[in-house]
Amino acid sequence: MSSATESVTAAPTPPRGVRRLRRPQRVRNLELLLLVAACGLNIFAIVLVQLGTLRTLNPQVFILGTGISVLVFGVHTAMRFLARDADPFLLPIATLLNGLGIAMIYRIDLANHETGWQSAALRQVAWSTIATACAVVTIIALRNHRVLFRYTYLAGFTAIVLLLLPLVPGLGREVSGARVWIGFGSFATFQPGEIAKIALAVFFAGYLVTNRDSLSMVGRRVLGMRFPRARDLGPLLVVWAFSMSVIVFQRDLGTALLFFGLFLVTLYIATGRLSWVLCGLLLFIAGALVASQTLDYVHNRFENWLDPFNPARAQGASYQLVQGLFGLAHGGFVGTGWGLGRPDITPVSQSDYIVASLGEELGLTGVFAILALYILFVSRGLRIGFAGHDDFGKLLGVGLSFVVALQVFIVVGGVTRVIPLTGLTTPFLAAGGSSLVANWIVVALLLRLSDTIRKRPRLVIGG
Amino acid sequence: MTTPSQLTLVVLQLVFLGLLWAFIFAVVYSIRSDLFGSRVRKLQPDASSAASSNTAVAAGPLLTPGADPAVAPPPIRRTTPATASSVNHGQLASSDNATHLAITNGTKAGQEFPLGSDEILIGRSSDCTIIIRDDYTSTHHARIMLWNSRWMIQDLDSTNGTFLDNSRVSTPTPIPLGAQVKVGATTFELRR
Repeated sequence: MSSATESVTAAPTPPRGVRRLRRPQRVRNLELLLLVAACGLNIFAIVLVQLGTLRTLNPQVFILGTGISVLVFGVHTAMRFLARDADPFLLPIATLLNGLGIAMIYRIDLANHETGWQSAALRQVAWSTIATACAVVTIIALRNHRVLFRYTYLAGFTAIVLLLLPLVPGLGREVSGARVWIGFGSFATFQPGEIAKIALAVFFAGYLVTNRDSLSMVGRRVLGMRFPRARDLGPLLVVWAFSMSVIVFQRDLGTALLFFGLFLVTLYIATGRLSWVLCGLLLFIAGALVASQTLDYVHNRFENWLDPFNPARAQGASYQLVQGLFGLAHGGFVGTGWGLGRPDITPVSQSDYIVASLGEELGLTGVFAILALYILFVSRGLRIGFAGHDDFGKLLGVGLSFVVALQVFIVVGGVTRVIPLTGLTTPFLAAGGSSLVANWIVVALLLRLSDTIRKRPRLVIGG
Repeated sequence: MTTPSQLTLVVLQLVFLGLLWAFIFAVVYSIRSDLFGSRVRKLQPDASSAASSNTAVAAGPLLTPGADPAVAPPPIRRTTPATASSVNHGQLASSDNATHLAITNGTKAGQEFPLGSDEILIGRSSDCTIIIRDDYTSTHHARIMLWNSRWMIQDLDSTNGTFLDNSRVSTPTPIPLGAQVKVGATTFELRR
């Protein structure tokens, strides 16, 4: 009898504050171990870059190599107090990707003889500081992800405002044909679309949690599939029209594809209906075909994609694409080695084309390693979504991690000529402040979600 | 400092790639329990009285749902399956009338778990709400969720199945109050 009483008193939820303080932080210790490894790899990469390009080591190693390490250990320490049960893999993976990006950007700086604040690598370290600070602020300010549910429509409104900001005269900047930047003064430029993707993920999750029943329950059956009613189709059409208008006015194919894909996936997760996805894909293909016939720059992208080596184009419109492909081919199986290739020949090789640069110097082995890191990151995110207890958390987790996956697919697919090339940043790797800030906020949100999921009272039977 | 030779750089490059992959495999190794399920452990009987019931259940886990009450351990507030289903038969558990989940058979018989408004994930994985580490439970075995304020049980394609009053659950099914739900070697019910 006494044994049975004992098993009951060993309740699943110990009184708050009593047992928690003494519980060893096994999850955080694992994270610390992986973080040390990730930071070591980052410093090793910078050292190899210097050895490869300069044939010697100089003190710049310490600024670039340890800068990000100090920052992420700050995030780690903050999480020991603020989110003790959060997922231990997201932070090390993001750190490693960020560090590899800095190493490659630094390598291209050296090739272009950029120093001081002209150096994109130094600016990237500065932006990493801001980004990780944003991540910590997110973890501190947002103690429970469900707070975001209250601001569903505010998030949707914010996303639209952010997307429209570059169209404001005087504030918007046009860089290489796409009007997706805003600038303050002469130096700080920002791509508000990156932040908008988080706001949109929140909006879609919130909207679909409240409206999914009307979307999934009613409709007419045609050919064994249930198609939604026209009035329920409304939001899909609105978002589709919106993403297409982004293409037209901002000339930004990538962002449109990203947002539309995000919407379709959250819709599919919420309603479980394949017919929605088919509807959406058909609409997107139809829209893309019409755009490629009527809009010049979309048409050019398609031409470059289908026939990049045409002599008429290879020195002009598809120069970047072709150089990227040559770079990847030059890399071969294990790459030329850090600092020993010529990735700087490709235009914007430190941002849009950083995958081709890394592919040249690290080879197929390195690119696959980077893709594996993304796969692990996304799988952790999807898992957080799967284990979520509330529908909003599930949809948000899936939406945020899917947006990272789709962005990687659009960029890497564009560089390797799987799909037409569109201008998007590679998450964590590419030079660019807004992208770093946005993706580190995604990390913070996923960490917060996973902490809420694991912190709940649990009952353990056996073991 | 001397200039490194070409050979040194190649070797260092290979070391770097090796370490990069080592990092990835370290992460994969750490999450192996997610991929293959956590290690199966034999349930440790809490006491000699529980031991007999445990072996009985382990001997035929799927054939004897609702094990013989005579050999079961003496739990707190234990309701025998027979009386429970006869008393509350037909009344479905909803967010209004069910307040907790009680384990009626298994090593933790007598243990109770409060029901909130969130779903409860049951399985061997550490991210489940109710973690059952025995040979017969899948990584994510089943879940109990509120559907239009009704408590429903859904089998998540588990290997050995989820049983509601001895019949295997194939679609999400509403749970009557006091009905015996069996996952692996553990049986529980929803109570007021």
